Amino acid sequence: MFGLPDPSIWLAYLLCIGSTILCVVYGVLNWNKDGEDKEEGKQ
Amino acid sequence: MTYIFISLAVYVIALALLGYLGYKKTRNLNDYLLAGKEMHPVVMALSYGATFISTSAIVGFGGAAGQYGLGLIWLTALNILVGVFVAFVVFGKRTRRLGHSLGTSTMPELFARRFDCPFMQGYSGLLIFVFMPIYASAVLKGIVDYVSNYLGLDFGLILIIVSVLTAVFVVTGGLKGIMYSDAFQGSLMFAGMAFLIIYTYSMLGGVARANEALAALPSMPGVAEQTAGLVKGGFAGWTSMPETGSPVWWNIVTTLVAGVGIGALAQPQLSVKFLTVKSDRDLNRAVLSGGIFILFMTGVAFTVGALSNVAFYNATGKIAINAAGSNDGIIPVYIKEFLPEWFGGIFLIILIAAAVSTLNALVHTMGTALGRDFLKQSLKLKTDTMTLTRLSMLAGLLLSVLLAWLSSKLDVSMAIIAIGTSMFFGLCAATFLPTYFAALYVKRFPKKAALTSMITGSVSSLFWLMFVQEKTASSLQICKLLFNTTSIVKGTALNTLSMVDAIAVALPLSIIAALIGHKAFARSEADTVDTVPAASAD
Repeated sequence: MFGLPDPSIWLAYLLCIGSTILCVVYGVLNWNKDGEDKEEGKQ
Repeated sequence: MTYIFISLAVYVIALALLGYLGYKKTRNLNDYLLAGKEMHPVVMALSYGATFISTSAIVGFGGAAGQYGLGLIWLTALNILVGVFVAFVVFGKRTRRLGHSLGTSTMPELFARRFDCPFMQGYSGLLIFVFMPIYASAVLKGIVDYVSNYLGLDFGLILIIVSVLTAVFVVTGGLKGIMYSDAFQGSLMFAGMAFLIIYTYSMLGGVARANEALAALPSMPGVAEQTAGLVKGGFAGWTSMPETGSPVWWNIVTTLVAGVGIGALAQPQLSVKFLTVKSDRDLNRAVLSGGIFILFMTGVAFTVGALSNVAFYNATGKIAINAAGSNDGIIPVYIKEFLPEWFGGIFLIILIAAAVSTLNALVHTMGTALGRDFLKQSLKLKTDTMTLTRLSMLAGLLLSVLLAWLSSKLDVSMAIIAIGTSMFFGLCAATFLPTYFAALYVKRFPKKAALTSMITGSVSSLFWLMFVQEKTASSLQICKLLFNTTSIVKGTALNTLSMVDAIAVALPLSIIAALIGHKAFARSEADTVDTVPAASAD
């Protein structure tokens, strides 16, 4: 894949891209969640 | 030269302005230590990323990829998955909530208050202050090597200039100034690394062609002779993982990948950033930019490091390490020889930015560890915290400069920068990770169990680094002085252990100690502080 013959290397690249997508999707889905800080609100 | 001076001038003016802004907005100790807990999520993410990624990651580990190949990409995957996602979502949110509810401003203080054990604060603070200079000196060596190589100036002179710049900036500005400048420096680093990968691939004929050329390189004329030593150690080409169980494999997997990949979770200079934002929402938002940022930092550095072999071979017939002269010289020489001259100037600034943004945080953390955690809280000195912290920062910086100067005298074939970094990351993981996790997630975790784990992790880690792991033991010289050998297991039936990184042994031991301690001390401590932060909808 992409000129890389060894699966143990392109799997690492796939995991990099997959993890970045995970970060982006998580950030977008939770963009407005948990805005209020309950513990600090009590103080 | 003109490009270098113009870029340097713009960079220094921008930093001075941001430092001044941070200084003006620093009104009290809370601002100085925690940036007033009101940082914007993008500023926080860039600051976290720029602190995480230093010259050590770009020059040190990029050089390691130039020598060992693309196996290092597993480290990038761990950097994103563990260093950003797990760090922010699993550790970050609860750290922020617990830290704010206990009113803490450093990692050692968080442990001490969570487990109601002041000794922990002094012990962790002292450990951080004593061993963080190893990492800071690796960061310093990374930038000083590059600048002195690029400008043809003396190592010592550049070392002094960079240290003075860091000192003036950190000691006056506090965490606010640091975070503003980090965000600026992080943006610079992002743009520069994006250009570097695009330019490298287009120079080598596109992604697939460049990778194919790298895969075919071991069979090109003259290469087998140059890689003979590495192949003996298990190296199987730049686009393959090394032979499983070989010395090169152990080095890549346990030291470089596991040490730094997992070690990032328990870094005091990184976890303090979680305390600087107002809500969990800010951390959710920071995950997005943090993930992309790290992909472009280590992902690009490691890929370019490995691909530089093709460029060097095409131009000189030599592989990267032989053409550059040392492992840590690969990235600097590659930029100088193969990228446009104007980019050399900009890249110099990017590396200074990467170094300064990490050094700022390290010096700040060394200062709070010795000044606040050890001298003020443990020894109860009367001097005010801000003065103690500032003096401790200077002491930490001086120690790091001295170590950087000494390490420049070591054997150049060793990946000194990468080894120094993974030593500190591994030590932090073994010492703090189980306790840190328990502090956040385990209700009524006994303080004796936390202490047992902390002490087991740090002692076993240091023992392994000084006496068993050959690479570190031979640089530290203590084993040689006492036993006249570079590792106490060398030449015995346990010889393989001399290749295993401390984290692979000390972290499991520290986890086992925490588990046994939890069982043994659970009932005897009725007074354990129970302040695990409430789980939210995350």
